Amino acid sequence: MNDQFEPQIIALVCNWCTYTAADLAGTSRLSYPSNVRLVRLMCTGMIDAKYIIKAFLDGADGVVIGGCHPGDCHYINGNLKATKRIYGVGKIMEQFGFEPDRLRLKWIGASEGLEFQKNMAEFIETIKQLGPSPVKSRMIL
Amino acid sequence: MYSVLKSEKGGVFAVRSLLKRLLTENMVDAVFVAAKTPYSDLPMPTLISSPENIETADPLAPVAPFNASRQASILLRSDTGKRLALVLRPCEIRALIELVKLKQCVLDPAILIGIECKGRMENALFLEQEKQRSGISISFYQDDNLKEMICSACNVCDHFQPVGTDLTLSVFGVQISTGIGVEAESETGTDILKKMGYSDVQPPAEREAELRDLQQQRLEAKSVLMEKTAEDIKDIKRFETLIANCLNCSNCRVACPVCYCKECVFVTDVFAHEPELLIRRAVKRGMIKMPTETTMFHLTRLAHIGHACVACGHCTSVCPSGIPVADFFITVGSKVQDLFDYEPGRDINEPIPYLVFEEENQ
Repeated sequence: MNDQFEPQIIALVCNWCTYTAADLAGTSRLSYPSNVRLVRLMCTGMIDAKYIIKAFLDGADGVVIGGCHPGDCHYINGNLKATKRIYGVGKIMEQFGFEPDRLRLKWIGASEGLEFQKNMAEFIETIKQLGPSPVKSRMIL
Repeated sequence: MYSVLKSEKGGVFAVRSLLKRLLTENMVDAVFVAAKTPYSDLPMPTLISSPENIETADPLAPVAPFNASRQASILLRSDTGKRLALVLRPCEIRALIELVKLKQCVLDPAILIGIECKGRMENALFLEQEKQRSGISISFYQDDNLKEMICSACNVCDHFQPVGTDLTLSVFGVQISTGIGVEAESETGTDILKKMGYSDVQPPAEREAELRDLQQQRLEAKSVLMEKTAEDIKDIKRFETLIANCLNCSNCRVACPVCYCKECVFVTDVFAHEPELLIRRAVKRGMIKMPTETTMFHLTRLAHIGHACVACGHCTSVCPSGIPVADFFITVGSKVQDLFDYEPGRDINEPIPYLVFEEENQ
């Protein structure tokens, strides 16, 4: 069954590092599965819990957040601000039956196109193992 | 420093005389305390400046129409140079401390007088009981039947002793019909008691045991509730069933003492969806419930303030659909609090976890 399952992944990526890495992956002609939909943000520090919750409630099978390595943030420490917030949301979603593995935080620098490709492919594989998100098959109030 | 305030008419009168002296001896300019208005038996938070009006104060009544910390924070928004004594319950003080951390108010003008709390009843139940037997502010502390009428959040509360106060009004180990204990927790508190001429005495012998027993009883009840609630929300289907009757009225948000945003994101354009979007969603999913975003609302509120939930239970009390909002806030909130080793209201110097970050965090 899982062979046919094509997960939908929302990737919230920062403009300066992970988005640039995705761009680099593209220009380097590295291909990665098309399940990932990128949302470009100026910084992971602007990620509010509701972005992640919204993605899950609208049926995303996984959410990946990509930002600059600690110390490399264009805005000094936006990525560090994001870290705890994302841990907190992950903990909350876990209580409602969302496997913690569906939410991933990854630091991918602007020069790491290959890293981006590998991470996305690996994340999609993880989500395929987990199967479709529990909200997919039911009405959400 | 522990003293006993005696009054043959009961603890409430002892508290009133203490508050009255604060005013008459010019130690404070006004007292913020729950007091009955001329129109109802339900004590409301009031700001009293004239000593004779202290007679209406009823801080020991087992009821709280809402968490008074919000009103207290309005009075403490800035330091006016006037001294205020605030008589608050433990959950109200903890919420107030969270609001100070969120820069909503300052404690400089405040003398915090905490009450050891044995729980509150729902408003309607209190009014009914008060009609049946007057003097519930005393009988509540003696009659075990009344103690069982406290609301569900109070039943699982293990923070019945206030922290971070100047003075604590102590009801444990005390015969409330003869007076009340008072403990000075700070230098300001000690000064007040000394100035008033109270002597330092040994706390009653039963006090520690009574506190320990209640603590154990409450912790047991809490773990039962958390286990049950965790089961009720363990997958999204069960959670949807739990909140299915939610009207999106936002009462829980309004009642929440730590949900402090002046303009909640849920009343902004972010969630004022265009009809086109709603129709598109309906087409995609077959049907959608209106208003939408019910689950989103509860989960987002959990994510925004779960770490600061003081478990006062007012969200459940105000829910017109009887949804046990506090139950899942207590359950999920304590998971988040454990994750960050954070306890709301524990210490005014303990930073909110989301506002600090360490460089070594990977």
